[in-house]
Amino acid sequence: MIQDLLRISHVSKHFGGNVAVLDISFSVDEKQIVGLIGPNGAGKTTLFNCITGFFPATSGEVIFDTKKINDLRPDEICRLGMARTWQRVKPLGSLSVLENVMVGAFSVTNKARQAEENAMEQLKRVGLTDYASKSAGSLPIGLKKKLELARVLATEPKLLLLDEICGGLNHTETDTILDIIRTIRQRGTTIVFIEHDMKAVTSICDRIVVLNSGEMLAEGNPEEITNNPDVIAAYLGGGHHA
Amino acid sequence: MKQIALITILAAAAFALPLVIGENPYITGILISVLMMAALSSAWNILGGYAGQYSFGHAAYFGAGAYTTLILLTIYPTLNPLICVALGIIAASIIALITGSIVFRLRGHYFGLASIAVAEIVRLSVLNFDFTGGAQGILLSDVSLWGLDLNSKNPFYYGMLLVLVVTLGITAYLRTSKTGYYLQAIREDQDAASSLGINLSYYKNKSLLISAALTSVLGSLYGLYIRFIDTSAVLDLRLSIEIILTAIIGGVGTLWGPVVGALLLVPLAEMLRSNLLGDTLVKAGLVSETSALGIFLKENLAHAHVLVYGIITVLCILYLPKGILGLFRRTK
Amino acid sequence: MSFLQPLLSGILTGGVYALAGIGMSLVFGVMNISNFAHGDLMMLGMYLAYFAFTLLHIDPYLSLVLIIPTAFLFGYVLEKLLINRVINHPHQNQILLTIGLGLIMSNTALLAFTSDPKILTTSYSSSAFNLAGGISISVPLLLSFLITCVIITILYVFLSKSTTGMALRATSQNREAAQLMGINVAKMSAIAFGIGTALAATAGALIAPTYYIHPLAGHSFLLKAFTICVLGGLGSVVGAGVGGVIIGVVESMSSTYLSSDWKDVVVFMIFLAVLLFRPQGLFGNKGGQS
Ligand SMILES: Nc1ncnc2c1ncn2[C@@H]1O[C@H](COP(=O)(O)OP(=O)(O)OP(=O)(O)O)[C@@H](O)[C@H]1O
Ligand SMILES: [Mg+2]
Repeated sequence: MIQDLLRISHVSKHFGGNVAVLDISFSVDEKQIVGLIGPNGAGKTTLFNCITGFFPATSGEVIFDTKKINDLRPDEICRLGMARTWQRVKPLGSLSVLENVMVGAFSVTNKARQAEENAMEQLKRVGLTDYASKSAGSLPIGLKKKLELARVLATEPKLLLLDEICGGLNHTETDTILDIIRTIRQRGTTIVFIEHDMKAVTSICDRIVVLNSGEMLAEGNPEEITNNPDVIAAYLGGGHHA
Repeated sequence: MKQIALITILAAAAFALPLVIGENPYITGILISVLMMAALSSAWNILGGYAGQYSFGHAAYFGAGAYTTLILLTIYPTLNPLICVALGIIAASIIALITGSIVFRLRGHYFGLASIAVAEIVRLSVLNFDFTGGAQGILLSDVSLWGLDLNSKNPFYYGMLLVLVVTLGITAYLRTSKTGYYLQAIREDQDAASSLGINLSYYKNKSLLISAALTSVLGSLYGLYIRFIDTSAVLDLRLSIEIILTAIIGGVGTLWGPVVGALLLVPLAEMLRSNLLGDTLVKAGLVSETSALGIFLKENLAHAHVLVYGIITVLCILYLPKGILGLFRRTK
Repeated sequence: MSFLQPLLSGILTGGVYALAGIGMSLVFGVMNISNFAHGDLMMLGMYLAYFAFTLLHIDPYLSLVLIIPTAFLFGYVLEKLLINRVINHPHQNQILLTIGLGLIMSNTALLAFTSDPKILTTSYSSSAFNLAGGISISVPLLLSFLITCVIITILYVFLSKSTTGMALRATSQNREAAQLMGINVAKMSAIAFGIGTALAATAGALIAPTYYIHPLAGHSFLLKAFTICVLGGLGSVVGAGVGGVIIGVVESMSSTYLSSDWKDVVVFMIFLAVLLFRPQGLFGNKGGQS
């Protein structure tokens, strides 16, 4: 097992005078599932954007697989084996569901036929096989979330960053996605998981990191976090919705 | 595969067409214009339709081909024209790389604006330099290649057809390849594309280069065909817009859209220019030749084809933004 | 020749460019649309001033009293009828629609007024004040600059003090948030387009006494207006004002020290340089991400 597959040290992100993320440090070991939680506006998505190269961090270091990746572009980071999904889903609207996933698969193969095979496999994994030829833009939100997942899995990431992949889904849909995540982890993929649904987080995460107003509030295993008085205060005080 | 077969069949038909219509320079001339506009618009479509990067300055690449070829042939009359075509591609590629490296880092409106600025810089420079013939343009007296009769139109008909087939072939190939999928992903959502491992500026530049190179070949062919060029014929913003409009009317981002657009627009423009439309209206008895309207139409319709283009553009964007082929596209 | 002379004429012409640039920037800010018909709207302003002068014998500067409301109404109606239908379309469709409208305007003008350039000659067209050091200031340029200053001041007060002005600025900053705050953004778009059109037409009328009036004159002004907007930062009204003056001076300097044939090339080079080194413009806040 690799210790510290992802190491974030003292990462901050400012937007003009607005501090969205302040001095965050934690690390993720291989094959772990780490939850990233916090009230709305806590800076979770912004931290993902810093890690994946969409907004370079104002200060601090992001180290992936012993390599400093602060200055790399998102596509380079993806090809190194770290991939993310989007909280506000971003389907390639006029392409078909299968083609969406093929785009992901092309980061590991140059052959269209191979990409199509890989893509079909991922569609099967998330249960979208029947929708393969539908246009991605026309799917309902639950299926769009599944498409996000299939597409990003097709890039065969070592580390997967999931941004509210269960957001807006009902219980059965959430459970299917959690099951998928468990099997992904069994195959050796490491996962960082942003989620508001505490039950979902505590049920699958090995460790949890809590952000509040851009700062790190707590870190620990699910039991420690659910009993942490600071965390409880932040959630009751902050405008949290499940 | 199906598309490649269709391209082959239609190309064979187009190949045989001159044999059917026989020696008719007027009709052949119009057909050459149709083929050229179809090819120009298809080349634009690779960048604009598939990668979603609307270039409003493609005249620059057309002009680069035409001017490079004619300038070289005026200085070295014995040079093989195909070498000039190749050098035209290089000239166009340089312009493309400069444009691409400046603006492809940016998103949104900037590429469109910058493509016009670059095209205007090229146009004004050509207009102001002496070696380009300035406002007078360049007249080429004679040209020869492999003993072909370049005073007849048929070689150019086949030349344009060849470039069109190549362009459509490249497009058809792209659609089923990694690059084609990547370009479409960039068109749909740049952030998503980038998060899936797509190097945005590499693929945008790649499609711009392919598109610019094909466009410059057409410019060279046009220069050899007409043997007279000036900035208003080959470098004008109006040409760039005509190229886009052709694609829009047929269907942007579809293989056959530009061809359909050219089949409609070029003959329409020709009918307006030759006043065929005005004459038809009069002959059909819809308008009296001596009425004020009749006289107005007779005098002005020939100059009105750009006005008609404007009207078509507006109607098309409002009522048919996906073009004619968009109507028939099955919704998946 | 004195360095001050081209600087001064540059600033004076630049003021009028600023007017055109501000109009375009306002439309861009509020509606997020690049208006490619802006130059042709300027051309219409030139013809309005010309015909007010030749047919109605109204001084071109005085005729602004008629031109401004007419142009505002024209822009307002144009937005209501056509432009607002593409406001949620991909931006290339918006560009194409305005290109189409521009072609219709310029080519209708071509049919109606022919391609012969018209010249608007007033009694003071070629008069000038002579200052110390051999510097002279052309009277029409000075007049149009002063009028520009007045109009920009009025616009500034309107945007910062009136309810409508503040609603326009709020829409420009964040359309969705403005809508949530209960601002009628559809109406704001129409007003913005009306003001943009009025400013373009005013700029056209103001330069009419010093330029050839021609149906295709809008073309070069369009690109100038874009350069001004990008220089000032797309959507920034103050930036467009400063950008206009900068472009006026650059043009006048390059005509004097290089050649007037190359002045537009210099302007477009600046455009590309801004995109390369400072894409958000001198005062912009929307960055390269709009
Ligand atoms: N592009 C941006 N420009 C300016 N401020 C931003 C930007 N992106 C995020 N912010 C600000 O950063 C802060 C953190 O936002 P972020 O989206 O990271 O929160 P989050 O924890 O993901 O919240 P949520 O649970 O609602 O998704 C917010 O105050 C937000 O307004
Ligand atoms: Mg978030």
